[in-house]
Amino acid sequence: MKKLKYILFAGILLIAGACDKKLDIEPLQSVSETVALDSDANVKLVLQGAYDNLSKDGMYGGNLFRDAELLGSDGEVRWVGTYSDPRDIFNHEMDAGNTDVENTWSIAYQTINSCNNVLSALDVVNVEDRDRVEGEAKFIRGVCYFELTRLFGKPYVAGGVNGQLGVPVITTATRGVTEASYVSRNTVNEGYEQALSDFLRAAATLPEDNGVLAGKYAAMGMAARMYLSMGKLEEAREMAVAVIGSTQYSLLPNYEDLWNQDDDTDEALFSIQVSPQDGVNELVTFFSIPEFGGRDGDIEIQSSHLALYDPADTRLALFYDGNGAMRTGKWKNQYKNIPIIRLAEMHLIAAECDARLDGNGAFQLNPVRERAGLAPLNQAFVEDVIQERRRELAFEGHKIHDIKRLSGTVDGLSFDAPELVFPIPAREIEVNKNLQQNEGY
Amino acid sequence: MKQLCTTILLCLMVVAGAYAQRTISGTVTDQSGEALIGATVAVKNTSVGAVTDVDGRYTIQVAKSDAILMFSYTGYATQEIAVGAGSVVDVTLVENANVMDEVVVIGYGKQIRSTLTGNIAKVNNENIKGMPVVSVEQAMQGQAAGVNIETVNGKVGAAARVRVRGVGSINAGTEPLFVVDGIPLSKDSRNTYGAGLNPLADINFNDIESIEVLKDASAKAIYGSRGSNGVVLITTKSGKSGKSQIELDLQYGFSQPTRKREFLNAAEYVELFTEAANNSDDIDGYAYDDPDSWTTFVQGRFFRYSGRNDDWMSKIDKTNWQDEAFQDASLYNANLSFSGGSDKMRYYFSANHGLNEGILVANHLTKDGARLNLDFSATDKLKMGVNLSVSRTNTRTVSDDNAFSTPMQLVALAPITPKRDENGELYDRPVTTYYNGLIDVEDATRKVYSNRTLVNVYGDYSFTQHLALRVEGAANLYNVRDEARFGVRTDAGNASNGFGESVFAGATDYNTNAVLRWNKTFDKNDLGFDLGTEYFESTNNRTSVFGEQFPTDELKTLASAAIITGGTSTEEQYSFLSYFGRARYNFDRKYLLNASARVDGSSRFGDNKRYAFFPAFSAGWVLSEEAVLQDNPTISFLKLRASWGQSGNADIGNFRALGLYAPGSYNGQSNYVPEQIANPDLTWEKSTEVDFGLDWGLFDNRLNGEIDYYIKNTNDLLQQVPIPATTGYKTQWRNIGELENRGWEFTVNSNNLVGEFKWTTSLNLALNKNKVVALADGQDIIDDGGTRYANVVKVGEPIGVFYGAEYAGVDPANGDAIWYTNATDGSDPRATTNDFSEANYVVLGSPLPDLIGGISNSFSWKGVSLDIRFQGQYGNEIHRSGDVFMSCNACWFDNQTRDQLDRWQNPGDVTNVPEARLGYSNGDIGRSSRYISDGSYLRLKNITLAYDVPTKWMRGVRSLRVYATATNLLTFTNYEGWDPEVTTDFLAGNTVYGIDFYSAPQPKTIIGGIRIGF
Repeated sequence: MKKLKYILFAGILLIAGACDKKLDIEPLQSVSETVALDSDANVKLVLQGAYDNLSKDGMYGGNLFRDAELLGSDGEVRWVGTYSDPRDIFNHEMDAGNTDVENTWSIAYQTINSCNNVLSALDVVNVEDRDRVEGEAKFIRGVCYFELTRLFGKPYVAGGVNGQLGVPVITTATRGVTEASYVSRNTVNEGYEQALSDFLRAAATLPEDNGVLAGKYAAMGMAARMYLSMGKLEEAREMAVAVIGSTQYSLLPNYEDLWNQDDDTDEALFSIQVSPQDGVNELVTFFSIPEFGGRDGDIEIQSSHLALYDPADTRLALFYDGNGAMRTGKWKNQYKNIPIIRLAEMHLIAAECDARLDGNGAFQLNPVRERAGLAPLNQAFVEDVIQERRRELAFEGHKIHDIKRLSGTVDGLSFDAPELVFPIPAREIEVNKNLQQNEGY
Repeated sequence: MKQLCTTILLCLMVVAGAYAQRTISGTVTDQSGEALIGATVAVKNTSVGAVTDVDGRYTIQVAKSDAILMFSYTGYATQEIAVGAGSVVDVTLVENANVMDEVVVIGYGKQIRSTLTGNIAKVNNENIKGMPVVSVEQAMQGQAAGVNIETVNGKVGAAARVRVRGVGSINAGTEPLFVVDGIPLSKDSRNTYGAGLNPLADINFNDIESIEVLKDASAKAIYGSRGSNGVVLITTKSGKSGKSQIELDLQYGFSQPTRKREFLNAAEYVELFTEAANNSDDIDGYAYDDPDSWTTFVQGRFFRYSGRNDDWMSKIDKTNWQDEAFQDASLYNANLSFSGGSDKMRYYFSANHGLNEGILVANHLTKDGARLNLDFSATDKLKMGVNLSVSRTNTRTVSDDNAFSTPMQLVALAPITPKRDENGELYDRPVTTYYNGLIDVEDATRKVYSNRTLVNVYGDYSFTQHLALRVEGAANLYNVRDEARFGVRTDAGNASNGFGESVFAGATDYNTNAVLRWNKTFDKNDLGFDLGTEYFESTNNRTSVFGEQFPTDELKTLASAAIITGGTSTEEQYSFLSYFGRARYNFDRKYLLNASARVDGSSRFGDNKRYAFFPAFSAGWVLSEEAVLQDNPTISFLKLRASWGQSGNADIGNFRALGLYAPGSYNGQSNYVPEQIANPDLTWEKSTEVDFGLDWGLFDNRLNGEIDYYIKNTNDLLQQVPIPATTGYKTQWRNIGELENRGWEFTVNSNNLVGEFKWTTSLNLALNKNKVVALADGQDIIDDGGTRYANVVKVGEPIGVFYGAEYAGVDPANGDAIWYTNATDGSDPRATTNDFSEANYVVLGSPLPDLIGGISNSFSWKGVSLDIRFQGQYGNEIHRSGDVFMSCNACWFDNQTRDQLDRWQNPGDVTNVPEARLGYSNGDIGRSSRYISDGSYLRLKNITLAYDVPTKWMRGVRSLRVYATATNLLTFTNYEGWDPEVTTDFLAGNTVYGIDFYSAPQPKTIIGGIRIGF
């Protein structure tokens, strides 16, 4: 009997001892921070993750465009959906608790952190790819700072000091939460400078052709867009003309072919990739109807927008009547790519600079007009170019930014009204006392 | 169960010594002379024991002439009789109402209630048997003091939330540990489609012998890192030796919602929305007939909603959409059991089958199961046994509360909208305001098939009369398969020519433990030690595949999908390794001491913090055993208890301490996205709890009860602390803050009338005060900042408290919604504003009740019995979150509740409903006391009328009972929504309490049944 007892005790102890090792269980779906940044292949996966974030609904997956259109609606679109967050954006009645605003803020900084992590680990990237990886990370980071600063800061004043508050500019990877994590807001000027220097560095290091990922001309296109918004017309024109002159891109003969495509067209400098397997196209969700994967047709195009078009304008044919209202055909299939920046915009930027600097933008404007089935102009004034932008780039996220750049008004609000500036998210103010809230919130 | 326990205890206590043997025999009967089958007969202070046979006869060997025989039987008082010189001892056992001698299951053992030093609530089989509910938690609702049970809504198979002594955590789990026959079961829902289902729905509670809820630290510390939220021990039935007993229980009944709400009819709808549009036109300066006016817009919508015609003008009700959300639900349950055995082998076998239709359209659940419990005495020293159950539950689920497709959201559709078009097809948008969820009923299938096998094998060996070892091995094999298929007309399948998904989620848990017990009695001292080790391992995996583009809706499986749009598989494991010990001492059953400790290790923590230690101490003093009280005619039992102990909460998910990147995909390529910021210092949540208790019995214990006061402090709370999103992360897991639950518990049991007419009453009440003591340094609140919901975590307040703007009603001058400013800048806090953003947030109420309880009364007379049980809670508020759409003074086209007709119309109107303004926000902000209601209720939870038909003239029939039972028959409440027992099922987290968002009301069920015993 005694023996049996000892055998049993020994058995229990053995089992218990063996079990201790069974407490070492590693996650199977995730990898640890150190692993993710320890090799060429892994750092490139983190870079891909930055694109993934950039493609989320709070960013170029939809809301950056949607909100620019809603905020600058000015009677051209009407929000009729049931969600209150976009409705508040549309009505210029945002509060700091707006979850869509918060989502954009959070995703943008998550994207920035991915980029900063990639940039922190460039030394493990193969030498031959190092420039490209750096350029892509900076392109994405530049996009984030440009979009954040112009949404959360008061409008950039061309030629001004631009000391108004923008967003915190962070260029180092987060490894833990420290005192330094409780950042203050940088100025609009600092945000723009960061974004611009990121684009310029990306333009210098990226290859001309980089597949569906950001290449040299995507970065130059973004730089042109920024220069225009900063009123730096010479630089804007130089960049835009360089892109137009690259021959890598061309205006498609049919405007309609630009939209709802599986593959990037020859006109797109950079697009968000969406397929049935991954990605989201939230523009379809809100601009479209259930038949095409949309919600309930939450955004209706009003007659005042349609009135902008000449009846002969082929772009007018893209609109369709769905569920009792007019809709844009640009966002009509939930699984198709979202063009972010395209060649026609370069023509329009160059045309506007020409018109402003030399008095006539017709040379760069006419290719865009002719593609739309309109007669070329001999003389294109600044206003002609602006009107063309409204038609050509409608519902592509330019609306409010053009109004602010051109010192216009929205529904009676001045371009620099506090209602047109996103609130710093309430949760962010709550967590970080160093952040100052925007006027009016 | 009791005789089993007594046998075990005897085996441990006695000294074996054999001298000259003598045989004693006799018969054991009850007061009416009926033979008691399976009664235990034991020779006191020896290991010798016997069990009575089918005729109540026993035979036993005794060694000494001064031997004492102990006779025991469940529900009867144990008797001790000295054998004397004779060889026949016949005994009549007397029915025992003395709860103090009740055997209570404790962690890894059993104990007599009178010697307990901890707080354990017990629910017996007879209190849950035959209840027409789906899950065991629902069956025990309101029956255990301090155990708050809430079914989140009226969907069949809905999750049930159990909170023992309040909410014990902010971000970690708050459910108690459920242990069924020694194996811990997870309460996490594993289905993908629809709202989360209750995984314990497949436990057949008719098989349950008893449920013990371990509430205080002394009782639960033996479960260490998993005990913090309490432990629910479920013990299934064992066979009793003796003649086979067969019981068949059949029941059939109906369910309907406890309550419906009132919505606008067609005339009111047209009137209110026309008025709302006119008002908006007045604001915007449109003439009503202007083509761009709101009025024109509304008329366009009416035209659309009528099915593109002008029927709306005739204001005829086309559809009562609320009625469409519900169905006439029926249910039936059949339960069959066999039990019996010999003194060597005992068995309990059962099989059950049932169908429960939910009150929501197309929502139903079927349950099938079987169980076999065997206990086998191999030798005098070795006992072995197995508990085996297999069960399956098939549920046709409905979407969660937030989906347009969920039946309750049908109420948003307009009463002017017909259900079907001229071809008999269901209307969809744009004729219906939103997606018509009835299309899901016709064209979507969403089935959840769950299967569970539970097996527990044990061996119990007595080395000597003092020392025994019990080894258990158990497995829980659980899998859930979701088959969802959405036809081309459905919301989910519309844009993709049909959508289908198949998900397989499996969980395999193993649990092994070994407990060495030593026990010795000398003089009046009773001393015992338990020493044990346990290992638990859980593997959870999930495989899913989804696809679209189906040739026709008739083809249901993904084999027919032209495009497989995705698929994935995941797996996660976690494990616990534990060592525990317990020491028990009592002197003369008068002075009681107990100490226990457990060391737990878990894979959920990093190397440095892997193990933790959880001690507990408790003591009791049975005053009624003291000479002063021993012969007191009134006080029959009095015991003071006190306990202190620590337990932990390990229900925090896996890998929280690590810095992680999660895989994603973009452009058809995989990638890594930062997912979690590291915290190498992450450790356990610990609860420290003190409990003072008084157990009392008066008048020979006819009136008895317990009073407990406890303070439970949980610190090192695992929290996802909000951090600046500018870091790239929104939260970090940290151990910060402290939460306190303190409260009183009272139970009273009374045998008001004994004799032919019997009346018993039992009451339980619990007062609990939950308070967030501290968050991170300098942090006062955890608030997501949104304006739809109002629950926050705020220092000094109960967890999940409602925090928002205080609604001041309507400005009689202009119809604007106004709020109190509650200014803190020195200006008048009672000043009002029509600008929501100028209203400072204040605490608006708590979703947690101050008081919960239940009272049941049982009456019986000559075979007729009536049981009436009320259950209720008091002092909690509910946020009517869905009312921001359906009670928003016609802010948008959702059909409105009829109370919105009280809207402000003319200057001077005094009302709480602001002026209707279509498309404008006028008071429709969720985070306001406008949408908070008192959630207190008292409910007739269960009423059963039964008649035991005399069976003397029925050959072979042992018993026959016919009965009728109703649940939730009456509800007394001031709540304006559907039903006050509610929490929405689409939000997760410990602050999600008291949120009513298109949540289905609870069912009111009436059944008739018949129970036959052979």
